[in-house]
Amino acid sequence: MQSRPDPVLDIALAVFLIAIAAAFLWETRNIPPGIFEPLGSAPVPQATASVLILLCLAVLLRALMRLRRGDDPVPPSHTESKDDGVVAPENPLAVIATGILTVAYVLALSARVADFALVTTVFLFALIAILARFERRALVLAAIIAVAMGYGCQYVFTEIFVVDLPSGQG
Amino acid sequence: MLGSLIDSFALILAPLAFFMLFLGTFLGVTVGAVPGLSGSMLIALTLPLTYYMTPLNAVLLLIGMYVGSIAGGLISATLLRMPGTAAAVMTTFDGYPMARSGRPGRALGLGIMASLIGGLVSWVSLIALAEPLSRWAMQFGPFEYFSLVMMALVLMASVSQGSMVKGLLSGFLGILIAMPGVDLSAGQPRLTWDWYMLNSGLKLLPVLLGVFVVSQIIKDILEIDQKFTRLEMNNSGILMTLRDIRRQAGNLVRSSVIGTVIGILPGVGANIGSLVAYTTAKNMSATPEKFGTGHEDGIVASETANNATVGGALIPLIAMGIPGSVIDVFLISALMIHSIQPGPLLFTNNPDLVWAMMTGFLVANVLMFAIMVLSARYLSRLMYVPRSYVMPVVTTFCIVGAYALDNTMWDVWVMLGFGVLGFFMTRAQIPLGPFIIGFILAPLAEQKLRTGLMATAGDFTPMFTRPISATFLAITVILLFWPLINDWRRGRS
Repeated sequence: MQSRPDPVLDIALAVFLIAIAAAFLWETRNIPPGIFEPLGSAPVPQATASVLILLCLAVLLRALMRLRRGDDPVPPSHTESKDDGVVAPENPLAVIATGILTVAYVLALSARVADFALVTTVFLFALIAILARFERRALVLAAIIAVAMGYGCQYVFTEIFVVDLPSGQG
Repeated sequence: MLGSLIDSFALILAPLAFFMLFLGTFLGVTVGAVPGLSGSMLIALTLPLTYYMTPLNAVLLLIGMYVGSIAGGLISATLLRMPGTAAAVMTTFDGYPMARSGRPGRALGLGIMASLIGGLVSWVSLIALAEPLSRWAMQFGPFEYFSLVMMALVLMASVSQGSMVKGLLSGFLGILIAMPGVDLSAGQPRLTWDWYMLNSGLKLLPVLLGVFVVSQIIKDILEIDQKFTRLEMNNSGILMTLRDIRRQAGNLVRSSVIGTVIGILPGVGANIGSLVAYTTAKNMSATPEKFGTGHEDGIVASETANNATVGGALIPLIAMGIPGSVIDVFLISALMIHSIQPGPLLFTNNPDLVWAMMTGFLVANVLMFAIMVLSARYLSRLMYVPRSYVMPVVTTFCIVGAYALDNTMWDVWVMLGFGVLGFFMTRAQIPLGPFIIGFILAPLAEQKLRTGLMATAGDFTPMFTRPISATFLAITVILLFWPLINDWRRGRS
């Protein structure tokens, strides 16, 4: 089945991209004209942002027309078929939980609340446990993977690749 | 040429170089076989590690991954009807029905041999065309390069799935996002909103990781409850016989040529190659009704062509510095990380490296064949590893990879931001390929345009009067208006 995106998503994305392009266009005012060359630094971003706005308007118009006609969106991941052996229900809660944990993980690394290895171990254990719905067998595996990854990555990146990973000096 | 070829064999058969090629191919096949993971993800995650390698080892590792991942997608496409890579979508049509009818080994065997032959034919084209094409590309002035980049962008947008407007939107967004940072011509920062972090612009790696890896992680986690039906794998029929090869000879040659030619087109990748080869095989078949029901010709056409595009796509990369496919963007990045500028001068400045790349591609194909024949049965078990274990690990690698670039969390936030943007773009059916091609080629295109205009004192005319530039621009215009022309022709008929 040919999927069709949600017109509301098209509208939201087009408006967001128009805002981005407009911000670029506005900022080009501060670019001084070229001294030794005819074109200068501003025209290419200006032209690009203008074309992007036009393309977004085209997407926006088309989505508004579809919305007005009342076209039903077909989700892109709609691949459900028993015969095919592929069933793809969506789980937005899992995405939200992953998003929150990931942001918390990056913030914890930025704030240097603890060593990279410890923060990573906690993050991985929590995320795997949540995604595996706290199944008992999964918790054991999650602990093994989390410790191996956390301390393994710390060793490989600091000792072999000489990367200065965040340490707990916060 | 023969001397360079022999020398390059000596280079890549050195223990470490060969190990890198083998490792890359093995990881590529493995990752390609796991639904939800792709060659782009693997290569993007590996890019930060290539900083610590010699250019030769880095490129061999990535070429191995490229070849392996395109071919590895065959396993999950055949056994799960879930293409491990977009390139294997057409393989699902006949591979899965054949596997379900109790012949999974046969389906995989056809695909593996077809992949090898596609790779070998495209290697011959690579060897034959790359050097002459690079000599031709040396005639390019700045306007020719600018027109070529525009053509690549529009070509990519026009063949992307969904609407062309969205393809172009994606490309222009990529160009715009590449603009902030110090303008090399003027030597001053621009579009930074007085934010010092933007002085060096948005770096390639966090953007690549975000758009290709994080967006895919979000999609995979959204579909984390997806259940697969297990198909028992056996090795019966895993090797094609000489009789099979004779029977499929026409299909193999035709699909290899189609794949190679489509691979050469800038920005057009393996998924289009397999689609065109599959459709052609179906149209030329005496039994087109069998396609989609587990027909051998379908598997052979799709797999031959998708692997042939890899060699084809390396031709514009090596000869002109233009990515033949999205994955080629990563190869270009790897070269640029080591201060090597892909393009016509590659043969002059880095002949050893360029010949080793081409020979590495040949050896990677042979390794891919051996790895897949020997381990398809075991690799097929990896498909059922729950995403709840895989995705958190990949997320961690992404974060470490982005951080390791400059030891700054800014790059991690950039990656996460582009991951979310990439996810919503994919959901809105805005293709990501043109975005990344636009992002990587924008600085080159702008620099060439400005250099050209400096040489002509601001006169645009030579862009339209110089034959090569004019040809590229004419193709660009035709591609832009092709959907309208098609509609008009359909209306008349």
